[in-house]
Amino acid sequence: MNKSLVSFLVFVVGLAVFHNAIFPIFTPKEVGWILNRYVYFLLFVAYLIITNLALKLKPPIAMMGMFVWLIGFYFYKFVLYPPIPWTLFITYMVMWSIGTFLFISQDPETFREFRKPIVKTIVGEYKLARIIVFTALPILVGMATYNAIYPSYLEPVELRTVHPAPPATTKVHGKTYPLESTNNPFRVDEQDNYKDSFPFLDADKQEYMKYVTEGGTIFFQNCHYCHGDQLNGLGMFSHVFNPTPANFIDPGTIAMLQEAFLFWRVSKGGPGLPNESTPWSSAMPPWEEHLKTEEIWKVILFEYWYTGWHPRTFGTESSTAGGGE
Amino acid sequence: MLGKNTRSIGALSLGLVLAVAIYLVPGMTGIADAKEAFAEQVFAEEAFAKEVQAEEAVEGEGEPEIEWSQDVFYKDWEGNPLKGPVSGHPAPELGPTDYNTYEFAPSRIILWVANQQHLYFGSFVLAVPIFCMIIEFIGIRVKDEDPVMAAKYDRLAHDLMKVSLTAYSWTAILGGVLLFTFITLFPGFFKYMAGIFRPVMHVYALMFLAESGVLYVYYYGWDKMKEDKFLKWVHCSLSVLLNLIGTVLMYLANSWATFMQAPGGIDSQGRFLGNIWHVIHSTLWNPVGVHRILGNIVFGGGIVGAYAAYHYLTAKNEEERAHYDWVCYVAMFIAIFGLIPLPFAGYWLMKEVYAFRQQMGITLMGGIMAWLFIIQAVMIGLLFFGANSYLHNGMSRVKGSHRYMKYCKYMVLLLICCFTMWMTPHTIVMTPAELKAMGGAQHPVVGHFGVMSAKNTAVNLMITCTVLCFLLYQRANKKITVPWATVGNCWITAIFIGAAANIIFLGVYGYFLPANQRVGLSVPQVTSTLTTLFAGTAINISMFKDSESYGDIQWGTQSKVGTYAIFLLAISFTWLMGLMGYIRSAVRLFWHVTEVVRDNSADAYTLTIGEAGKMLTFNALFVWVQFVVVFWVGSLTAKKIPAKAPEGVPVPAQQQQ
Repeated sequence: MNKSLVSFLVFVVGLAVFHNAIFPIFTPKEVGWILNRYVYFLLFVAYLIITNLALKLKPPIAMMGMFVWLIGFYFYKFVLYPPIPWTLFITYMVMWSIGTFLFISQDPETFREFRKPIVKTIVGEYKLARIIVFTALPILVGMATYNAIYPSYLEPVELRTVHPAPPATTKVHGKTYPLESTNNPFRVDEQDNYKDSFPFLDADKQEYMKYVTEGGTIFFQNCHYCHGDQLNGLGMFSHVFNPTPANFIDPGTIAMLQEAFLFWRVSKGGPGLPNESTPWSSAMPPWEEHLKTEEIWKVILFEYWYTGWHPRTFGTESSTAGGGE
Repeated sequence: MLGKNTRSIGALSLGLVLAVAIYLVPGMTGIADAKEAFAEQVFAEEAFAKEVQAEEAVEGEGEPEIEWSQDVFYKDWEGNPLKGPVSGHPAPELGPTDYNTYEFAPSRIILWVANQQHLYFGSFVLAVPIFCMIIEFIGIRVKDEDPVMAAKYDRLAHDLMKVSLTAYSWTAILGGVLLFTFITLFPGFFKYMAGIFRPVMHVYALMFLAESGVLYVYYYGWDKMKEDKFLKWVHCSLSVLLNLIGTVLMYLANSWATFMQAPGGIDSQGRFLGNIWHVIHSTLWNPVGVHRILGNIVFGGGIVGAYAAYHYLTAKNEEERAHYDWVCYVAMFIAIFGLIPLPFAGYWLMKEVYAFRQQMGITLMGGIMAWLFIIQAVMIGLLFFGANSYLHNGMSRVKGSHRYMKYCKYMVLLLICCFTMWMTPHTIVMTPAELKAMGGAQHPVVGHFGVMSAKNTAVNLMITCTVLCFLLYQRANKKITVPWATVGNCWITAIFIGAAANIIFLGVYGYFLPANQRVGLSVPQVTSTLTTLFAGTAINISMFKDSESYGDIQWGTQSKVGTYAIFLLAISFTWLMGLMGYIRSAVRLFWHVTEVVRDNSADAYTLTIGEAGKMLTFNALFVWVQFVVVFWVGSLTAKKIPAKAPEGVPVPAQQQQ
């Protein structure tokens, strides 16, 4: 039997069996180990490699290229969970396609071998393949066109700047705060030192914990409906908003920001955003109208305490503003 | 590295590595900080002395009172703003009469095109003398052992210089166009800049004169100084002088741009405070300078490579093919050497931008310019793909490379995985339905790739992988025979595995650290990467001693894919250079000079991504049309000398022994 055909069957039948029979075992309905599905994927890849090596199949490079590409497609489409948005999927697949191309074009020999069946199809040496390809192509183009012009009722996506550059100063309750140098007043001790190393470990400091607790109380009275009781942006109202409320657990949100930045955001809310951050689409109220200044600072203190992140500071870097020379 | 004698050229290669290190290390270590601390002290003393003098002067009879004002940037030893005597007029409040316009396009766009075209050509003419210096030097060094090869190097350097000469006049013309555009369309702003930089502009003009003089002597004296050994060395020294003057020129011109972005040496009203060095040497001056030198080398390498690739694809005979294949190799070698440290210089620049104004840093990396940085990430990925594709394809034509070719696919896999991590955005563009399906704004798996820890890890691994690929290329046709071959191989393996482990460990560790400490992790990560570059190359080259060759490299047999990769690299360099230049300049938003001179023109808005992309593409295409014309003009004077076929096909050093 033709070895290429065997290799093809190994791939197709293997994929069918793995996907329909083994994949469900690795992804039970009850939440299991998060890495289960990725272990499954590695098993599938291992099966392909071992089978091909054991049977000495050595599929032609064009077929290998196709296998590699399909493996990437399978991973991003079916294995990676939760499903990624379309824009990211396309991005990943473009990259994977480039990688596949680099793989097949790594030397002139493999590239020539890869081109061979394509050229043969085009010039008509593979008659059946030519008929199939040239019949399928216009149908595919037609389907793509149909899909593209079919009306969609989803609201359009928009590029939005999540962390806009803050203004130099912000005025809250009649007082002006310069954002670069403003610190959380509840994080300053008697010596006026800014506690910049893991104050949440210092839990026996009763005064500090008192502020944290007060901040927590304010948070659960006002914020958790949207930002969630685990501060992960999945509050009970979160799913009706676009953009969704910020997820403080994520390393890319408050962990990257100064407390003063949060103070500005909490105080001014959605309406205080600059245009690039689409203030019209944010549901967050300007909390300065509902909370006192110290209450805002306490909530911020709580958010860092709860998540374990530490606010960004610039004091210890050589980058003291304006201190170049 | 590019010639026959491996030992001497190996040393040269190391020299090249060290030269790059000299540019980078001050930025990467604390030396710069120490220098700044010293400078602070000096400035503080200077300011104190001036203040005392001023007080004395005020106390004295009949002496005019000197007004003192605070610098917007420089600080004294105690962190207080440095004071200086007011020596200039305040910045103007620009109005409609300070701007002129044409009907057909906004003034800002016209100035952008003029500026970008001048910069592209300036970059090219600054890069070519660097190449010529290196290539001519190699030619001189190998002359005794291989006169044919030496002649080839000499001819290449001479040919490049010839093209550069035409490009030089072109650059000057474009500079004139830029100047007139600036004066006519932005007269008010130009008047202010001229008031501050008056002496610098004169020095710049004089330096241009010196550059032209040296350039003409260097080019037209080529044949006369060719035969005599001493005169040849003098000639080569002229190229060093040429490069020095060129660098000074570039730094002077840079000072205008860096002043506009991050001013110093003036007070908050924009009044000059009497120290021109402060104005020139503002905080971004050094990083921008280093970044541009490296960028010029990469850009110049890309253009020369594309020029050679075109001739390679259209060559009529084998000799021509072999020659241009070899030129492609030399150009790519130089370009990739510049490309590897380029991201680190970029990091240094960004660090200084954050240090100047955190707001400006956020605008760049997280704010309105963030999406452009995503595009930059894609382009950088393309560069690494192109470079690796060229190396893989180049390696495949070397006899003996079959031992290493099998690793190529794994390197491609690593590159793709890293690139996936590198360009996964923190904020994903998605529809509400997709958002719901994902369960939140952040993906629980790939969402972790959106922060700097992951990005740094990815880019360092990509560079390390490219370095590894390069080392394998170097040794592709060699059978290592030194007695310590096993030990050497073990060391190289250990260095690479150690570096990769360190980079990954620090990347993961970064997730558990406060942001300000996390930033510091990039230094050891970069150090790991540079260690693989420096130590890996050094050990690799040392192992070539007395090695046996599997056979000569087959020049003229480069695959088409590898050749097209050069075009991809050249176009990507051009586009990327325009993109980053735009970002650097546009981050000032509605300021001509940040926080000092406000842009009150009708064009003081930030372009949409699409509009900016169109302009960048136009600029890239336009400059390439001009390059084609310049190369064509350069070829008009070319005498068709039948290339003497060397005995055996020329082989770069690392493929020989």
